[in-house]
Amino acid sequence: MFEVRNIAFTYRKKQVLRDVSFVVSPGEVVCVIGANGAGKTTLLKVLATLVAPDSGVVMVDGQNALARPLRYRRQLGYLPEHVALYEDMTVKEYLNYRAALKGEPVKRIRRRVDEACEMCRISDLLRAPIGSLSAGLKKRVALADALLLRPRVLLLDDFLAGLDSDMREAAGSVLSAAAAFSSVIVTGHELDDFAKWATMFFVLKDGVIASSLSAVGVDRAALRGRLAAVLKGGAA
Amino acid sequence: MSPVRVTWSRTIGRARSLFSTGFAISGFLAASAALFAFRLDAAEGVSISVASVWASAVAPFLPALAAFLAMDVWSDELQSGRIELLLTAPVKEREFTIGKFLGVFTMLVFATFISFATMVVALRVYAPSALAGVGVLGFCPAFFALMLQGMLWCAVSVAMSSVFRHAAAAAFASLILLVGIPRGGWAALLAWAPLGRPAFGEMLFDAHVVDMSSGLFSSGTVLSYLFLSSFFLFAASKNIAVCRFGGRGGRSLRLSTTFALILAGIFTGLAVELVNRLDTKMDLPVGNVETEFSARTRGVLADAHGEMTVTCFLPRKDARFRPVGHFLRKLQRESASLGGIKIDLRFVDPLWDLGPAERLVRLGATEGSLVFEKGRRNVVLPLADGYGERICASTIQSLTMPPQRRNVYWTVGHGEAARDEYGAFGMSDIARELSREGYRNVAIDLAGDAQIPSDCALIVVAGAKEDFSRAEAGRVDSYLRAGGRLLVLLAAADSGGVASLLPGWGLRPSPATTAGAKSISGTDLIVGEFSEHAISKPLQGSRIVLERPIGFMPSAAAETGSGADRIEFTPLAKAGTAVVAAAVERGVGAGADLSIRPMRIVAIGDAGFVMNGQLGARANANRDFFLNCVAYLSGTDASVASGAETNVLATGLDRVARGRFAAVVAGAVPFVVLLLLMAVAARRRRRG
Repeated sequence: MFEVRNIAFTYRKKQVLRDVSFVVSPGEVVCVIGANGAGKTTLLKVLATLVAPDSGVVMVDGQNALARPLRYRRQLGYLPEHVALYEDMTVKEYLNYRAALKGEPVKRIRRRVDEACEMCRISDLLRAPIGSLSAGLKKRVALADALLLRPRVLLLDDFLAGLDSDMREAAGSVLSAAAAFSSVIVTGHELDDFAKWATMFFVLKDGVIASSLSAVGVDRAALRGRLAAVLKGGAA
Repeated sequence: MSPVRVTWSRTIGRARSLFSTGFAISGFLAASAALFAFRLDAAEGVSISVASVWASAVAPFLPALAAFLAMDVWSDELQSGRIELLLTAPVKEREFTIGKFLGVFTMLVFATFISFATMVVALRVYAPSALAGVGVLGFCPAFFALMLQGMLWCAVSVAMSSVFRHAAAAAFASLILLVGIPRGGWAALLAWAPLGRPAFGEMLFDAHVVDMSSGLFSSGTVLSYLFLSSFFLFAASKNIAVCRFGGRGGRSLRLSTTFALILAGIFTGLAVELVNRLDTKMDLPVGNVETEFSARTRGVLADAHGEMTVTCFLPRKDARFRPVGHFLRKLQRESASLGGIKIDLRFVDPLWDLGPAERLVRLGATEGSLVFEKGRRNVVLPLADGYGERICASTIQSLTMPPQRRNVYWTVGHGEAARDEYGAFGMSDIARELSREGYRNVAIDLAGDAQIPSDCALIVVAGAKEDFSRAEAGRVDSYLRAGGRLLVLLAAADSGGVASLLPGWGLRPSPATTAGAKSISGTDLIVGEFSEHAISKPLQGSRIVLERPIGFMPSAAAETGSGADRIEFTPLAKAGTAVVAAAVERGVGAGADLSIRPMRIVAIGDAGFVMNGQLGARANANRDFFLNCVAYLSGTDASVASGAETNVLATGLDRVARGRFAAVVAGAVPFVVLLLLMAVAARRRRRG
């Protein structure tokens, strides 16, 4: 169980996040949506321990994750908004390096890398230098990196941006597979895609969760319309 | 694998994939090798280990190499945004920093090792005589010294890389911090305080390398480097921790980090001060191992007759027991082979040989000393003062010659270097050497009504910074007119003391300092041209090392007059066309009237050339030169010390061979290394 309680964050006297609270159960894929500047990326940075909140706690299985950040990061997979990888490495070298850095024993690294590559459909790119890959493929490599050690919490910032239509189609199955071991939180603007596989939506508006919508058992078209209405300022 | 190891491996892997690494390392090799070849030429004939010359040639380029290798270890992560991915890994900032630091340091060690291997192989091929008595092990202290400094340079460069987002800015900041501020600051300090120049001596970092590569280790220096490196690594870690929240909140963290850094800086400063106060020095017998006794020692042993007992009063478990015993046996054999004095060696353990130990204690010996006995006379030599060839030869000489004490008066009260000062800027070592040679060192304050005593063999004015008063100068002048003897060590032409007196006695100090191409550290000057004078003739083939000496010219008073009034100016040592040491004598060849005692002045253009720090750093011929001056001035010409004949650097390279040597070490080898590293980088880039 991943729980966010009363997170607040101020940047240069502007309150970017206010009293943000939500719960993500294992197996859930949560989408945080909102207009530009709503605080989506900041929220994920707080959850990824890249930014210290003014107040609030992040609980993983009842434990305060921010109090023991090193232990929490072992359970964390994070895909940043802007993907920057080591261009001089091959995909395999990069993923091996990342797995080793995350503390995976050497003998298990190969299996982990193969699993992640299969999930992200980059098994045939293992020997390719990262510098020669397109932006979309780099994003897939970064996604494989985030999925490497089967993290308990998977944070994907602007996940679908830059991915081709094939990968967007496949994203649902990737995240469904990831949800088997992770609480997945995704941000972005691609409502059509999100509506196909998300289980829960949080709409962030001026740093506050303005609305939450469950997508389970809801007609996708209706859901899509309600989300659009909320984003435009109407009620859910 | 630990995160440190993973980061270390990644840092090296990245460096290998860059063409710029090849250029940096080969550039470093070429520059250091060129300087080494240049300084090897300058050091020819100087009593300095080839390892010291190599280390002093490599050291100036290490900061640049460290800055270049480390410039993007953090800044690239910060600029590209990869820092976000790194910081979400379950790794502490300090583990990242240490891993990156070790990666850079490994590259630095690799480059320095290539330089070392190149030098050793090239010297074996072209100038094997330069390696005589040194061997590969002799380079270890030099290598250690360079790595100790390299460690600090890497730590500083990694810290700078964590501050700046642009690699070039990080490299520039590192160079300012490592080269600009220390060397520029040093130059400014010297320019600002020219009178204090002898006291400042060589630049601290250069002096550390020369000291350690000569085997002189100081616990304070070693620990200072470790503490400072730790501080900069701590600062880098803290800076990265702040970067985690950089620009987005975390103000309290930034404040606490600043506070932690200030505290760490204060703690480091205190720790450095403490370890330097509790300093312990160790002198490893490496790099300059004496292979045979000098002509002077052999002369002393051959001239001495009768029997002498030398007792080593030392526990057998003491670390010095074996080397001291080895040395004494060698001395004993040498004396026997020359048909000189018969030396009876005894070893007394204070724990077991209680009877002999009690007798030695009654003689005034303490544990850890050598006792020389001849008849009723004895000399106790504490091992803490050293037990080398010169000391033992002087002791044997003082016991076998009739007792005769000559008084050397050292002027005080004008900022002179003190003969009882034991620090690097004191003269205690040379004063002790004079005592062993049979002189008595006495301080004289010429102020007030004090007259120069009649038993004065000579007056030494060692780097006076203030002018003598008119009355004091008058007393010295009267003393010289009566056939007095004066030894002047000048810091600068206008440095006061008796400088104003000298023109009247035929000597005119030059207003400018002397610079020359022959230098080992860059600030010193190797002087190897000596005249046929009684002082300098025995030094032919040796080299003395002076720090930016001033020159001398004959004044109008020189070479004028006749008979007893004639003043003769004789250059003693030259650096190019400049005379850096000179002697004047009045009354030379005054006829058969032996009652005339000629006035003699010897002036040397460097006040610090026999200070403890200078004598400790290099076993050069400075000591011999000073002793020769004293012997000449005091009139004991018969016991003039010989110049060093052994223990000098001799490459035996002629001009063509030297050119070939330089072409190989500074041209061919760096080029091959460049090609190899480029090939490695190209191979890594072509994969896939």
